[in-house]
Amino acid sequence: MSCLSNPDLLVVGAGPAGLYAAIEAASAGLTTVIVDEGISAGGQLVKQTHKFFGNEDFFASVRGFDIARRLLKELSNMDHVHNLQESSVIGVYEDGIPVLHLPSDTTRLLQPERVIVATGASEKFLQFDNNDLPGVYGAGAVQTLMNQFGVMPGRNVLMVGSGNIGLIVSYQLIQAGVNVKAIVEIADRIGGYEVHANKAMRMGIPIMLRHTVIKAIGTESVEGAVICEVDENFRPVASTSQELAVDTICIAIGLNPSIELIAQAGGEVKYIPELGGYVPVRDDNMRSTAEAFFVAGDVSGIEEATTAMIEGRVAGLTVVKDLKGNTDLKKLESLKRELVAFRNGPTSARIREGLRKLGIVSSSKEHQYGNPNNPEKYMGKMRPVIECYEAIPCNPCETSCPTGAITVGENINDVPVIDYEKCNGCGICMTECPGLAVFMLRELPEEESALIGIPYELIPLPEKGEKVHLLGREGETLSDGVVQRVFKSPNKTHGVYVKAPAEIAGEVRGVSPVSKTDNTYVCRCEELTVQDVEKAINDGYTDFEELRRRLRISMGPCGGRTCRLNTLGMLSRKTGRPIEEFAPGVLRPPSIPATFRSIAGQEGAKDE
Amino acid sequence: MNKSASVVIVGGGIVGTAIAYYLTQKGMKDVVVLEKSYISSGATGRCAGGIRQQWSESSNVRLAMRSVRHFENFKKDLGADIEYIQGGYLLLAFDDEEEALFGKNVAMQRGEGLDVSILRKHEIQYRFPYILLDDVKLASFCPTDGHANPHLANFAYARAARENGARIYTRTRALGIDVTNGRIAGVETDRGHIQTGVVVNASGGFSHEVGHMAGVDIPTESFRHQIMVTEPVEHILDPMIISFSRNFYIRQTFSGNIMMGQGDEDDKPSFNHDPSWRFLTEMARKMPQLFPFLKNIRVLRHWAGLYNMSPDAQPIIDKAEKVSDYYCAVGFSGHGFMLAPAVGEGLADWIIHGEPQEVDLSNLGLDRFTGEVVRERNVV
Ligand SMILES: Cc1cc2nc3c(=O)[nH]c(=O)nc-3n(C[C@H](O)[C@H](O)[C@H](O)COP(=O)(O)OP(=O)(O)OC[C@H]3O[C@@H](n4cnc5c(N)ncnc54)[C@H](O)[C@@H]3O)c2cc1C
Ligand SMILES: Cc1cc2nc3c(=O)[nH]c(=O)nc-3n(C[C@H](O)[C@H](O)[C@H](O)COP(=O)(O)OP(=O)(O)OC[C@H]3O[C@@H](n4cnc5c(N)ncnc54)[C@H](O)[C@@H]3O)c2cc1C
Ligand code: SF4
Ligand code: SF4
Repeated sequence: MSCLSNPDLLVVGAGPAGLYAAIEAASAGLTTVIVDEGISAGGQLVKQTHKFFGNEDFFASVRGFDIARRLLKELSNMDHVHNLQESSVIGVYEDGIPVLHLPSDTTRLLQPERVIVATGASEKFLQFDNNDLPGVYGAGAVQTLMNQFGVMPGRNVLMVGSGNIGLIVSYQLIQAGVNVKAIVEIADRIGGYEVHANKAMRMGIPIMLRHTVIKAIGTESVEGAVICEVDENFRPVASTSQELAVDTICIAIGLNPSIELIAQAGGEVKYIPELGGYVPVRDDNMRSTAEAFFVAGDVSGIEEATTAMIEGRVAGLTVVKDLKGNTDLKKLESLKRELVAFRNGPTSARIREGLRKLGIVSSSKEHQYGNPNNPEKYMGKMRPVIECYEAIPCNPCETSCPTGAITVGENINDVPVIDYEKCNGCGICMTECPGLAVFMLRELPEEESALIGIPYELIPLPEKGEKVHLLGREGETLSDGVVQRVFKSPNKTHGVYVKAPAEIAGEVRGVSPVSKTDNTYVCRCEELTVQDVEKAINDGYTDFEELRRRLRISMGPCGGRTCRLNTLGMLSRKTGRPIEEFAPGVLRPPSIPATFRSIAGQEGAKDE
Repeated sequence: MNKSASVVIVGGGIVGTAIAYYLTQKGMKDVVVLEKSYISSGATGRCAGGIRQQWSESSNVRLAMRSVRHFENFKKDLGADIEYIQGGYLLLAFDDEEEALFGKNVAMQRGEGLDVSILRKHEIQYRFPYILLDDVKLASFCPTDGHANPHLANFAYARAARENGARIYTRTRALGIDVTNGRIAGVETDRGHIQTGVVVNASGGFSHEVGHMAGVDIPTESFRHQIMVTEPVEHILDPMIISFSRNFYIRQTFSGNIMMGQGDEDDKPSFNHDPSWRFLTEMARKMPQLFPFLKNIRVLRHWAGLYNMSPDAQPIIDKAEKVSDYYCAVGFSGHGFMLAPAVGEGLADWIIHGEPQEVDLSNLGLDRFTGEVVRERNVV
């Protein structure tokens, strides 16, 4: 059928973003092919048995799989729509877009006018000893097994990560009769919404903050896990390690946008940690830098189902405009306003920051979370940044400041307000704050870097000139830096000043001494450990492209989904250059391995 | 970055880094290599790594034989394991014309001292039972041919050259070459100017352009050439297997992946690096006919690189006439990986001693294209 191989629109991915994109396009009369790898369409939605949070208009409080069902029903009533399930788009080529039908192992080539890439995201991978043992799963795999296939991943589970996904999957495991021994969380607070956490805790799951997994035990498969506490700088404290008898370790530490196809299409990608890693550069109509390709949903930045749906609709309507010359502009504009409105709350601050880096404006209600500590006017002046927003009963910052620059005021519960005019940059407030919530900052615009003062309480105290890891708010290593100055304080909270690239100055909130890591896999396909990678970097392979080729890292069947970011992170740490400076490497097709048979026996082939 | 150099080599592929290695090994100081991207970013990092001595032109045979000696000593000389395997090269003949050509070639190659022989169909079947030989007439086989990992070889040369004192600047592009009164004065780069009297053009696919920078007209053109690799499987293939009439080559890497490619017949000269789906479908239909075990193996990745072609499909290794001390080592026409060691050695001698000494580069000059052109036929 020619309209199948030359549709107006190809939508890749039938999650909330893709389904909505297809609905908008098809209802305007465009022939639309929608392709999804899953046995049933719906993307992440079909795995979700919980009620959704978000905007009422977009099914808040409806359960995920019900949302998927309703959207699919709407689509199935439309003409011009072809829904290809259990099919994967395996690449974007100059001469077409091959789709692999997994059950029959056949391919067919599509030549659509426009493509909306709504491929969602894949899970981040954690480095710890024996992380290649069977029984170590990503949260998504566990969800798929349980909620789609009704198979239990194991009987006793350790969950790693207390973000919303970790919390929800833990709850779902309990619902399915699996014992969740613990949720470990490296940070000192729960990552997800309080309500999700409370739900899990009510089921008796301990959430162990400041804990991480350091090793999987077992020979053939997981028989246990070693967890331990981490110190203030998120380093494992060996003396606190304990064993848990579990047969499954479930990793839920975050998602990476699945950008392979858009990159193959020639769309520019950019590293924006706030959006989950490398994301496609796109405009507010969701058009990528490759003219005929659009993105929508988690692939354009890890967010939520509601925004994925709106983005899908925006992309769909814009495609209609491209191909038909006009579209429902009123609807388009109102959807865009809805997106902006949805993102102006405090929990979307990171998303807003990420979008800003893409040049996409998304206003926030500034009076709520505009950082009063950071007025443009004082750029370049040494001054404190006070990250103390919770209105707690405390005021040493105020009382210690020799110049009276900080005011908490009458009510000790008020948040501190600083007057930078009065501040002389002494840094005493930083060493006095019991919450370690005051950091010093001075931009060095000529060097595109910044001097950052970090309150530090550990022994040994780093020395001037020493190389340290620069840590982010979640203890993640952002880069490496050199200690510029150490300010010793009699109260044992010292100030360690480091230099960091300007882009991450707002993120660096800790330092830790550079230390050795052990036998931990970075790349499971090629069985490469942290040591292998570090050795190669030490040997001078500091160009990501050369490193990849030296080690064959990210050249295995996964195409680098698991190891690319981790490798870049190590490279960035070792070289002190921000990840943004490295190209992510070529994302070569096919995106998933395909047999000779499937390629040769494609539909419409003349011979054989 | 260095402000001056005795020699500036443009291109950090296998050829440029081999030249840098031999120059510094032979005592040359202040050698600079400019690489616009990263080491092995060009054809080298995209190639199949085949190392073959069975050519139809004797000059190619000689150069390849000399290179093989260097590859055999690579580990000892450079201290690097480059996954070099001498599993032989099996050339399949499918028609009478090829049968005749192979006979003639093998006679010539044996005359050059190469251990090579013709295998009849039953001999092929006996030694390589996994090939479906239906249309195959015969084969020629040379056991000392083989293959290596091109990235590792390229890195090894770069590293050894650096250890010898060469400066290799990656992410640095040559923009122009200053020539005054027929002499080279320096090289302009995007990171500053370098004073030098000697330039080597080892820029692979961009050889014509880098020739143009000094006003030297090099008759080369670049063509896209695609290649693919499967998931790793049990070790099956010892030799690299190739056919000119069926237009393919195939080999198994050290880590088990099966790698194969073909020439796209109707591709026009261009710098296009994008892989095409058509290539994949053509390979997927053609290859399992000869190698049935491929049918259920999965294709992992697929990419393209540039063949820098000369009019007779043989490299151009020469010193320019109009511009003094402008050397070129280009136009490798799809077999520059295997020739790099000998070419590196010969060109280094040429620069240092004024002649290539032991390496015979005599038939590879720029002036050979004026009369009748005799094309190397053993190319895919
Ligand atoms: C446990 C959990 C709980 C959540 N809870 C909430 C919540 O309460 N509220 C909320 O708003 N959001 C929630 N989310 C987030 C929400 O599910 C996602 O943001 C949303 O699903 C993203 O939609 P999407 O369409 O971009 O991608 P997805 O839903 O991930 O869909 C992408 C689809 O593309 C397919 N695909 C990918 N690549 C290809 C390819 N090459 N060829 C063919 N198909 C391909 C995939 O198989 C998948 O079906 C939750 C997420 C998780 C994991
Ligand atoms: C698919 C494929 C398969 C092949 N298979 C084989 C095989 O099996 N055996 C074999 O022997 N050969 C093979 N070849 C050919 C072989 O790859 C090349 O002949 C060889 O790599 C050439 O090496 P080089 O150093 O001249 O070029 P390259 O490796 O291309 O290096 C040239 C370098 O110069 C750089 N450069 C260009 N312009 C500038 C500038 N202005 N400034 C700075 N740097 C510049 C480029 O970035 C590049 O890195 C194959 C080639 C391809 C594409
Ligand atoms: S840095 Fe010094 S002056 Fe500035 S607020 Fe802190 S204590 Fe006051
Ligand atoms: S962090 Fe500083 S400002 Fe905030 S409450 Fe503690 S002492 Fe006061």
